[in-house]
Amino acid sequence: MGKIKLKGKAGAATNYIKRNQALKKLQLSLADFRRICILKGIYPREPKNKKKANKGSTAPTTLYYTKDIQYLAHEPVLKKFREHKSFVKKLNRALGKQQLSIAKSLEKNKPVYTLDHIIKERYPTFTDALRDLDDALCMLFLFATLPSTDKIKSETVANCQRLSLEFLHYVIRSHSLRKVFLSIKGIYYQIEIKGQTITWLVPYQFSQQVPDDVDFRVMLTFLEFYQTFVGFVNFKLYTDMNLVYPPKLDISKDDGAAGLNAIIIEVTNFSLATSQVNADKQLEGGALSLEKSSQTINSEERLKTLPKKLAEIKNKDEHAASEITPDSVDNAETEEALMDDFMDQTPVPPTSQEQDVLMQTFTYRDIHSASVALSEFENLFSKCIFYLSREVPRYSLEFIIRAFGGQVGWDATLGVGSPFTESDERITHHIIDRPIIKNQFLARVYVQPQWVYDCINARKLLKTKQYRPGHELPPHMSPFVEHKEGDYEPEMENDFEGMVEETSARSKEQHNQAENDDKDNDADVNEDGSDDDEDDDDDDIDSDDSVNEEEPAVPVLDHDSDYVENETDNEDMVYQMELEAEAAGTPFAKYKENKAKQISDGKFNNSSSSKPRAESGKKRTSKEIEEQEIKELAKIMMTKKQKRLYSKMQYGKKKQEEKVLNLKRKREEINQQKKNAVPISVKDGKKRK
Amino acid sequence: MKRQRDKEETSSDEIISDNIDVDTEDISDEDIEGTISSAMSDCETFDQKEAQVQYEIGANGYPRQIWPEIDPIYESDTSTEEPVNTVGNIPMEWYDDYPHIGYDINGKKIMKPATSDELDKFLNNMEDPDSWLCVKDVLSQQNVKLSEEELEIIRRIQMGAFPDPNYDPYEPTIEWFTSKPEVMPLNATPEPKRRFVPSKWEAKRIMKIVRAIRQGRIVLGKTQTPKPRYYSLWTDNDKPREEHIMQIPAPKIKLPEHDESYNPPAEYLPTDKEKEEWEKMDPEDREKNYLPQKYPCLRAVPAYGRFIQDRFNRCLDLYLAPRMRRNKLNIDPESLLPKLPNPKDLQPFPTSITLSYDAHKGRVREFSIDPSGIWLLSGSDDKTIRMWEITTGRCVKTWDMDEIVHSVAWCPNKDICAFAVAISNKVIIISPPAVCDDETTNLTAQYVASGFNTEKNVEWIKPSTEQGDGFLVIVQHAHNKVIKQITWHRKGDYFATVAPDAGNQGILIHQLSRHQTQQPFRRTKGMVQRVMFHPIKPLFFVATQTFVRIYNLVKQELVKTLQSGVKWISSLDIHSMGDNIIIGSYDKRLCWFDLDLSSRPYKALRFHSKAIRSVAFHKRLPLFASCSDDGTIQIFHGMVYNDLLQNPLIVPVKILKAGHEVVNNLGVLHCEFHPTQPWIISSGADHSLKLWT
Repeated sequence: MGKIKLKGKAGAATNYIKRNQALKKLQLSLADFRRICILKGIYPREPKNKKKANKGSTAPTTLYYTKDIQYLAHEPVLKKFREHKSFVKKLNRALGKQQLSIAKSLEKNKPVYTLDHIIKERYPTFTDALRDLDDALCMLFLFATLPSTDKIKSETVANCQRLSLEFLHYVIRSHSLRKVFLSIKGIYYQIEIKGQTITWLVPYQFSQQVPDDVDFRVMLTFLEFYQTFVGFVNFKLYTDMNLVYPPKLDISKDDGAAGLNAIIIEVTNFSLATSQVNADKQLEGGALSLEKSSQTINSEERLKTLPKKLAEIKNKDEHAASEITPDSVDNAETEEALMDDFMDQTPVPPTSQEQDVLMQTFTYRDIHSASVALSEFENLFSKCIFYLSREVPRYSLEFIIRAFGGQVGWDATLGVGSPFTESDERITHHIIDRPIIKNQFLARVYVQPQWVYDCINARKLLKTKQYRPGHELPPHMSPFVEHKEGDYEPEMENDFEGMVEETSARSKEQHNQAENDDKDNDADVNEDGSDDDEDDDDDDIDSDDSVNEEEPAVPVLDHDSDYVENETDNEDMVYQMELEAEAAGTPFAKYKENKAKQISDGKFNNSSSSKPRAESGKKRTSKEIEEQEIKELAKIMMTKKQKRLYSKMQYGKKKQEEKVLNLKRKREEINQQKKNAVPISVKDGKKRK
Repeated sequence: MKRQRDKEETSSDEIISDNIDVDTEDISDEDIEGTISSAMSDCETFDQKEAQVQYEIGANGYPRQIWPEIDPIYESDTSTEEPVNTVGNIPMEWYDDYPHIGYDINGKKIMKPATSDELDKFLNNMEDPDSWLCVKDVLSQQNVKLSEEELEIIRRIQMGAFPDPNYDPYEPTIEWFTSKPEVMPLNATPEPKRRFVPSKWEAKRIMKIVRAIRQGRIVLGKTQTPKPRYYSLWTDNDKPREEHIMQIPAPKIKLPEHDESYNPPAEYLPTDKEKEEWEKMDPEDREKNYLPQKYPCLRAVPAYGRFIQDRFNRCLDLYLAPRMRRNKLNIDPESLLPKLPNPKDLQPFPTSITLSYDAHKGRVREFSIDPSGIWLLSGSDDKTIRMWEITTGRCVKTWDMDEIVHSVAWCPNKDICAFAVAISNKVIIISPPAVCDDETTNLTAQYVASGFNTEKNVEWIKPSTEQGDGFLVIVQHAHNKVIKQITWHRKGDYFATVAPDAGNQGILIHQLSRHQTQQPFRRTKGMVQRVMFHPIKPLFFVATQTFVRIYNLVKQELVKTLQSGVKWISSLDIHSMGDNIIIGSYDKRLCWFDLDLSSRPYKALRFHSKAIRSVAFHKRLPLFASCSDDGTIQIFHGMVYNDLLQNPLIVPVKILKAGHEVVNNLGVLHCEFHPTQPWIISSGADHSLKLWT
């Protein structure tokens, strides 16, 4: 006969320990226990069977894993906690007795603990650390914006600011930013380092109201850990990129609210350092604040030849199946060139999309095109030079523009260190968040800040037309939503921009060359057909008009003018279409008919497509009924367990469907309203004529 | 001799005193020097002492400091007079046998002084007027003359007064501590001595530090160089932690959706009603902790008020929320549905309503179809029995009864044209006139008209012609309980009646040809719900509330007990092959028993939303049906294979809805398949019968 097993001596009963038991075992106060749990990342568990773990009781208790608590017992930080406790006693006694010298010496020999070993313990590999960086960054960026109070020390805030700036610098240099999102809570950034996506939220830069119902002791314990954590991560990231850590802080710039520019990044490698000096010398006139390492220079060089190659790749992809390319010799050559190019390329961490590609069988060309696309995306703004007007959020825009290789300058009220002034002629985009613009420069495009964010999320430069100051902006979508089957998909209205108008004087020549390719590509890529092309043409003409006809720097004072401009845009379009119709020789009545049709077809495509579905929802076909019946019959044969599971699933599904339906209904209503409103505006346009 | 001795004594005394004198002089000199020097400065003495330090080669070969001897400076002059005996307070007779009387401070023997004999003493006393003032000091063995003060003390002691004349026993008390409790108590005790002398322990502690400094353990004036705050914590060959089931990483924060945008598509904005609902909800119940909002431009976006709270909640979640691994089922719900053959392939089965037989004015409890499949007989609560032609729905004949008709059953023998009707405690055998041809009618009459016995339990009565049209026999039961069911043996000679309340007379088997009645069970276990004859074998099925018992009528023994697992069996039917039975129950279950497999149900199905009233097998086709109080009839394809290894196949093929109305929570009361066609007829509480084809 085996040994008699006693109840409560093995299994779940011994695997879990109640919080109070743990406190007693560790001889800790609740506050110290909380701190150590936060620092060590120990959390309560929900046992599979609460009764077994809790002596037959189902009362709500906090249960910890016993091994976790055992493991806590040997924590050196705990010893320091105890030492600190006695130190505080001694200090208080000394102070009470006015023994200041003793107090001073006590203070000098105060027990200090470090969290380095805990970080290594919790994150044995760097990948683990990156995986858990989200919360740390959120916290640091929040505390970087908080005012220092009696609870929050000013040094803590300063340290948070510094660490966050260092991290942002890394992101800029590594071009690892992937997605950004302007939400009502703040700005979300998503980056990708070593295959790990890290998302964090930065509050809008307003002075934060420090609430009363928040226990800052908890927050500060977390912050304490996160500060050390991010410091080590930053160190690793910087040293991996051959940069000096910690970077120096330019105090004069920091005092002038220079933000990102206050930190001076240095390269450790001597040779790189020299090249950087050269680069700096070159850039002194160009006033590029970002020090370029040789890496970025290389990538830029590669970029210059990129549009051409891209066009080639696309052409190949499209025609490979159908046609045999006539100049096969040429092709082979280019392919070789491509191969070299690819070999040169620095290894790029695969994105999630890429990973998907990798899972399948892939060809060399797939990888190449993907990596080219990625490097192109990483240098999205490399040809753009931005100027930030004083009402736009510099802290965010400067970061994202620089992270995508753009150059940026700003109004002096936004802080010192702007590399160029507003009157600089090289500026291609002027970001402005006001409806009225006085003294417009003709050589640049005026856009609202959302354009920059939307471009990044779309991974290409979008048309600026909808983003002009004062225009009603297209909706800003979350880039994090992955549409599954059955989800509601809102309409997207953005198009790829050929970058035609945006050419700066500098790169015009090069661009002209690329333009033709681009146009070809456009036609191929956008399968919307003639409509789109027309649109493009319109746009060209429109912009030409604005350049040629409008007097330069017209002071626009009237607030209504914004509206007028909107109208004129519409007018121009209408006029253009009318002209085309006249040229084609269609009678006016017919043209009008066509147009109405076009509007209803084009703009309300969605509504028309969704309508039949709605109708079909009302009248179920006999087939559907039959299917439904078969399902019902099959349900009879299910076991009770399966039946329950099935009904649960159906419940969730139904809820989701309801949500989607609600959204669809709302969309339709809005479309209906728009439809009713559009003819009026067209009429208005007519009257003006 | 004495003199000599005395001289000697005195000389020795002198010598001693001389010595002492020298000593005292020396000391006083030193003393003066010391005081002066101390007055001058401490440093000097130290220097002098430093200077006096001598070095000599020690045992280890290194020079060794030899400090000058310390001179204790005795300030009291009493000790200087003569050597003090240091033996203490001991009985001095211990020294009687020795030449000395003790030891001086240097450990040298103090010799006994010469003592005078009695004569000398006497002479002394006589000569010396002050001799009475002398007292012998025990320690020094000498006479000491008492001083004036000492005499005074002795005198005062003798008088019983205080020895000290200056002592005032009645001086006023000094209150070191006030007798009254005060808020800030004051203390007038004189400072203790320890306050004025250097602390020994302090000196020790200081020496400890001095020693540590000398040994180099404490380095003064050393500033610690700060270590770099951050260093390379991770290397390339770090080993990842092994996966452990108890390691549960915190879930990441949910990423924002479109509706969190500062400028979301218009359809995401909440309507006023939704806003109101959201605000009414408890913050914990809200699906999202924000309301979607639209701002015209980025400039207009305000700070988010609950940012810190959100982060704080996340912090709380991270360290306070219990974590558990939950396996998320990522399966298509449709995959849960069992794959069944398409019902279309299993045709024929009844699919839709074709005829309705409406004439009854009460609920139709039971009906029966004649073996040829032409006639339908229904008994109702309106105390009538009606006979219908199935295909046309024409009511051929009506019998009016005096009581509610509980059961009707056609005789399965095709040669006999008769049916049995159960009314209260009577069973009436009726041969419907003008339905059958004359030959069968005569045959039936002959078959039935044999005995009319009177037995213990039952009386077989020959009815008169007035009692009813075509009445052949009335079987009057001795008990007066209601007969709920009549069931025929397949040959049409025997039939069994069930009266659930009638105790041991509940089940009776009657033989029509001989007019005999048997009581098969002396005692019935439980309340009998239904009975049935096996279609082939001489077996008899008795369904009580929860069990179905199978008896062999020939051997008169219990063959098997089926455990249904339901609470209350309502109906029972046996497959035409006889190896499978189905039961329906009031707790919505339908159980299929395969008698070859086990005494537990082969399949228990629960699909009706209310109690099952009746179940039925088709006589020829692989069909069975169940009808329920929810007003539906469920048709199944129930294929039974001859191969013993293959289990029966059960496929639901059709739900017949919208036929019968539910009246007073009663729906379809009875259903039965047509004996030849794939049709089913049902009767309901809505006073009608329906034919489904």
